[in-house]
Parts: sequence; structure tokens; C-alpha cells
Amino acid sequence: MVFPDGIPAFEQEKRFLALRQPINEPMVFLQSLANPNLCFATLPAMAACPHYQLNMAPEDLDALGLERGRQPAIGRDVLCLAVLSLEENAPPTANLLAPIVVNLHTLRGRQAIQTDSPYSHREVLPLREAACS
Amino acid sequence: MLVMRRRAGESILIGEDIEIQILHIGESRIKIGISAPKSVPVSMKEVKLVGQENLAAAQLRSVAALRNLLDRLIEGPACGEK
Repeated sequence: MVFPDGIPAFEQEKRFLALRQPINEPMVFLQSLANPNLCFATLPAMAACPHYQLNMAPEDLDALGLERGRQPAIGRDVLCLAVLSLEENAPPTANLLAPIVVNLHTLRGRQAIQTDSPYSHREVLPLREAACS
Repeated sequence: MLVMRRRAGESILIGEDIEIQILHIGESRIKIGISAPKSVPVSMKEVKLVGQENLAAAQLRSVAALRNLLDRLIEGPACGEK
């Protein structure tokens, strides 16, 4: 997948590979092709939040070659992944404010900051309590 | 914080070479134009937040932590829909 502008803080990283492993479903790893040490763990936005809706800015739609008149359909038009942050001593969070959106027809991608978003860049994931410690 | 009242079409100057013009005032958002030298980075504040979050996310944690997360991931009650 090609990210012409990289992603914020990693503007030089233009190419990523999406990796899925059956054992780690539904997680998707975004591996940089230029930097072997750079890999993001992500979840499909729908897995993090079942009713997730895109609200992309016109500039982002343009940049991905998507129609301006409507929001793209997740799964049909675009892949939509929320980057996960797992910090020690903090609940895991998903960035649903700015998902990675990839045009499935062109494989061109971009981290698209949503407009009027009810979601945060640190949305706490709904987790069960750890099974007995 | 300095607060100024401006109407559509009016501008604010910052220093010698930065101009911020109110282009259009809509119902819930305003459109502004920014003229600044190329050397001055201009971006939405969210871009910075997202960059910081990406830097934190890139500190890839242990595989065990990921497994633990997957095992505990619940489908539903939706986040963000408070």
C-alpha cells in the first residue's frame, strides 16, 4: 500500500504492507517496507467499534481518489484501520479519530483525521477483565 | 490568550508576514485563510496529536501484550457513542 504523504510523525514512510495472521485475528499489522523496525498494530475500525462511521474531509477523499459526494463504504471501497497504542500501566487505546484509510481499488492510503468526530485519538477499547490473575 | 472579534473578510496579522483571514462563517464552522512564509509549518492541531499517538504506537510492545489484548477484546458496547 502506498501512502504518498506518509502518516503524521512518519512522513517519510510511504509504503506499508498489511499483514494478517489467523492467530492474531482480527488484528492487522502495518509493516513499513523501508524500515523493518517500524510496525503498527491496528484493528479494523469496525472491530474496535461496531457502528463506526467514516466522516472524511473533502481533501482526504480527493487525496485517495474517492468521490466527494458520499462517504466511502468500509470494506467495499476502503480498508479502515485504527492504530493501537499499548502502553504499560494504561488501558489499550485505538485511534478512531484518525483511522488509516486505504482505497481498496488503488491501494493508496492516508491517515485521515475525521471531521466532527465523536471519537477520540485515544479511544479506550472495550475489554473483559483479565481472566484470573 | 488574546481574544479578538472579527467579521467575515477581516484579517489578523501575526508579526510581519503571517496573515489570517476569516473567509466564511458557517453555522458550525468557519473557513480561514492563512498566508505564511514556507518556513512556518501550518497544520491542524489534530495532526500533532495524531503524530504523538503514532510515535507512542510505534513503540511496539511485546507479542504477549497483544495476545492478551486480543483475548480480552469484547465486541460491542460501542465506544464513542456515549
